[in-house]
Amino acid sequence: MNPVNNTSSDQIFSAIQEEAAKRRKANEEAPGCKIHIGMATCGIASGALETKAAFEDALSQRGIEARIHTVGCIGHCYAEPYVIIDHPESGFPPIFYPDVTAGKAKMLTKLFLEEGDPRLEHILGATEENEMIPSVMEFPRFNLEKRVVMEKCGRIDPEDIYEYIAEGGYTALVNCLRRTPAEIIEEIQNSGLRGRGGAGFSTGRKWELARQTQQKDKFVICNADEGDPGAYMDRTLLESNPHQIIEGMIICAYATGARQALVYVRAEYPLAVKIVHTAIEQAKSLGLLGKGILGTAFDLEIEIFEGSGAFVCGEETALIRSIEGYRGMPRHRPPYPVEKGLWEKPTIINNVKTLASVPPIIENGAAWYREIGTENSPGTAIFSVVGNVTHPGLVEIPMGVSLRTLIFDICGGIPNKKAFKAVQIGGPSGGCLPEKFLDTPIDFDSLTAAGAMMGSGGMVVMDEDNCLVDVSRYFLDFTQKESCGKCTFCRIGSYHLLDTLERLTKGEGRETDLDQLQQLSEDIKNGSLCGLGKTAPNPVLTSLRYFKEDYIAHAEEKRCPGLTCRALIAFYIDLDKCARGCDACVGVCPTEAIFTTSNRKKGVDQSLCVKCGECVVACPPEYDAVEKVSPPGLAPIIERPPEPLAKKIVS
Amino acid sequence: MIADLSADEEKILNDVKIRLAKYGKERGQLIPILQMIQDKLAYLPHITMEMVAQHLDIPPSEVFGVATFYNQFRFNPPGRNPVKVCLGTACHVRGGDIILENFERKLEIKEGETTSDKEFSIERVACVGCCALAPVTLIGETVHGNMAPSKVEGLVMRVQIEKEMKEREKQKNESGQ
Amino acid sequence: MLTLTVDGKEIQAKKGTTLLKACLDNDIYIPNLCYIDGIEETAASCRLCFVEIEGEEKPVTSCTVPVKASLKVKTDTPAVRRLQKTALRLLLSVHHVDCKNCPANKKCALQDMAKFLKVGLKPGHLQHCLKEPEIDTSHPCLDYYTNRCVLCGKCIQVCLTHNGQPEITFARRGFNTVVSFFGTAKNEKDSCDECIRCVDICPVGALVLKSSP
Repeated sequence: MNPVNNTSSDQIFSAIQEEAAKRRKANEEAPGCKIHIGMATCGIASGALETKAAFEDALSQRGIEARIHTVGCIGHCYAEPYVIIDHPESGFPPIFYPDVTAGKAKMLTKLFLEEGDPRLEHILGATEENEMIPSVMEFPRFNLEKRVVMEKCGRIDPEDIYEYIAEGGYTALVNCLRRTPAEIIEEIQNSGLRGRGGAGFSTGRKWELARQTQQKDKFVICNADEGDPGAYMDRTLLESNPHQIIEGMIICAYATGARQALVYVRAEYPLAVKIVHTAIEQAKSLGLLGKGILGTAFDLEIEIFEGSGAFVCGEETALIRSIEGYRGMPRHRPPYPVEKGLWEKPTIINNVKTLASVPPIIENGAAWYREIGTENSPGTAIFSVVGNVTHPGLVEIPMGVSLRTLIFDICGGIPNKKAFKAVQIGGPSGGCLPEKFLDTPIDFDSLTAAGAMMGSGGMVVMDEDNCLVDVSRYFLDFTQKESCGKCTFCRIGSYHLLDTLERLTKGEGRETDLDQLQQLSEDIKNGSLCGLGKTAPNPVLTSLRYFKEDYIAHAEEKRCPGLTCRALIAFYIDLDKCARGCDACVGVCPTEAIFTTSNRKKGVDQSLCVKCGECVVACPPEYDAVEKVSPPGLAPIIERPPEPLAKKIVS
Repeated sequence: MIADLSADEEKILNDVKIRLAKYGKERGQLIPILQMIQDKLAYLPHITMEMVAQHLDIPPSEVFGVATFYNQFRFNPPGRNPVKVCLGTACHVRGGDIILENFERKLEIKEGETTSDKEFSIERVACVGCCALAPVTLIGETVHGNMAPSKVEGLVMRVQIEKEMKEREKQKNESGQ
Repeated sequence: MLTLTVDGKEIQAKKGTTLLKACLDNDIYIPNLCYIDGIEETAASCRLCFVEIEGEEKPVTSCTVPVKASLKVKTDTPAVRRLQKTALRLLLSVHHVDCKNCPANKKCALQDMAKFLKVGLKPGHLQHCLKEPEIDTSHPCLDYYTNRCVLCGKCIQVCLTHNGQPEITFARRGFNTVVSFFGTAKNEKDSCDECIRCVDICPVGALVLKSSP
């Protein structure tokens, strides 16, 4: 398609921009203060709805005029629910408050909004540089990040298209409408953007292949079937800034010649579905989608398809089958979807983050993007860092930053003075890396070389108390349940990997187990049909390579070094430390396994104990009497006194 | 496995039939239709799968094959208070399976089952996306973060007490009138 | 016609055919379960027909490779045999080995492959695991033996090809996948009685005609 005479599209868009600027100005100049509340799924789960209601109540009770502005997620999960209060009259800059419960909301309304005291003991920092209080930008969690994809997340209301436009949204699209598709693809190719879905294929090349096919009907699909059980950046993006993704999709469709597009999003993400739906409607109503976009001859419809929950549907051929109404089973590639995809038509499938990277690239140019990240992996990466770190959440960093910087500087390291043991990167398809890889730069190729992969961007940090055999078992349990069942290696092979790992964690390991794990893993990797099967053994292969001692301890000594595998541990109460007459552990034990000894101390009945560890938490720190050991035989046996005696003591 | 629907369900089923007629007849509608039915009935009774097969003019076995492939679809009614224990990665590392076990023990059912009084059912879910609150459990739509085994009993009791309170209130209102 | 080299022997094949078909047509046996002669789109699900092709790093499934002139192919290398033996052992680990009482005895694809690969009908160190129920008898004229089935999908494919819409289907997912008769009530009796292509094509005797009405 040739670029059309676009003076009119510029005019149409500047009218929209003017309206956006006008609305923004009206909001900014409105009297009273502004309360920004993060209302993505994670915020709501942490109680943001209650916080919002508490603010509303308190404001109306006190007759204070203020604007509550609901925004998406900024990725600082440890701080949820958070609010930013902008109270210009108080003389203070906008302030970021973490953990704002309903009670805190009421307190802040009274003391800060009404009386002007910002209660500095509750703040995280100011969101602007100022003379009065430290800015959040002084913390590594903020200043070491580089936000390209998530730049607007948490700043705008995802359900108001004008806020996105007022922040410069959709200018990249207008820019593109002035250029030829070939020019746009060249720009994307020059930027070096690689698919953020995991494998890292060149986005520009994919688009070029799609553009060149002669077939008329083409589809663009945004793959938001985020299935990794520890990654949620796609959902956050959809919930916090859907328009950046939609803009990326429109540009992609324009450049490749597609006229229909689809967002494939998990049905388990109801809020994301709702927000994307609203966003599409709003974009349509402003003429940014639909027939004759911004007065040009370019038409595009975007629909939503709700995925029904099958991890394998993240694989593009399976995803296509499920849209077509079949069981989501992958097929052999080639042909690739770019040649033969949805309804046999050429189909460009891009991940959410890939598409969201497009508008900033167009806006700032390929050279700007190349400046970020590394030579072969330009741009940024988003990780959801969870597990044993002080500041978990979503982090966007330039490629090439080391794992150490990410885990220790940005996310605050390991809490409770524990030692770092491993980091699992890339979810069920990824691998576990030990300490010696902490200085590995994060990019597609370095992670793959180390045995992990970028994958979904899920990152689980494990400390000395985690067991690598158990973590492998966890991931295999997941992939085994999510295997589509089509090919022999994945269907039956992953079952046996799981079976072997389960035996090891129960202390029923056999001599042949470790060899069998290694060999079977290699065969599944080489023999499976699709990416899910080929990468399913990665957690086993990497942990066998780097943490073999964990496996040997399980197989030969029936011992769990991380004290995690419940069949291989026991709890007992150190009678020298136990305080006579204290009942803290008895109260929390869910199975009545803890009894009172004849001298009114406590013992654990190993036959009843389910090893939940509640007694450890309950035991007052000044006694610290509950001990955990592996193998279980190390626990001293304390006899339960005969029933009558126990009754007498109670009475 | 034979259609054994309650009176309420029969009523909803009629509504489902009306809605079904509005869907197109192409194969791509299959999953959206199943989602609609589950949204209304909370599960897919066998009779509905036959209805869908008829609507789309495909064999019932095809509908069954597709429905049983996806995690979203269930074939027995959930309890009035579905307990969903998150077993995402972060929740696992922080002991999510122990929470699951405690619910199973307390409610005396296994994951995937419903209590005989239809009050509770237990499901495992893969990541509800509040990893910083791990381990997490949902009861109905309410998220309970930072779960501990000792909180399980309290939560179950709270649901039961709330139910009793509601019933008492209802009785009071009725006797008052 | 194209000429390619398989195990040092030159063979001829028509353009557009797959490497597996070309080999089988030239009497070069490659173990396989899900391949059906005459059906273009291959399932590539049994993962047995591995071969090594010069220039490729790892073994590939020959059913997904279109023939090309001057392909150099080896069907008997350690890497190929290792994958084939593992795949066979995996299948046997969920197979109820009871050949004496099985109608497929002596014409069973698993027996043939075990003989060809010179291994026993045993799963090695793998834990044997059978599914419940052993037999699905819900169809008016067919019985399905869960623990004989290798899930090659040929029965579904022939039913689809012949009847336009398959009356049998895969149901459930992953390790629990089965072939299912859901909804094939009495009305299928006549048509299925006449057809039984699914019974004929089953390589392992998992689908059989009901013995008594």
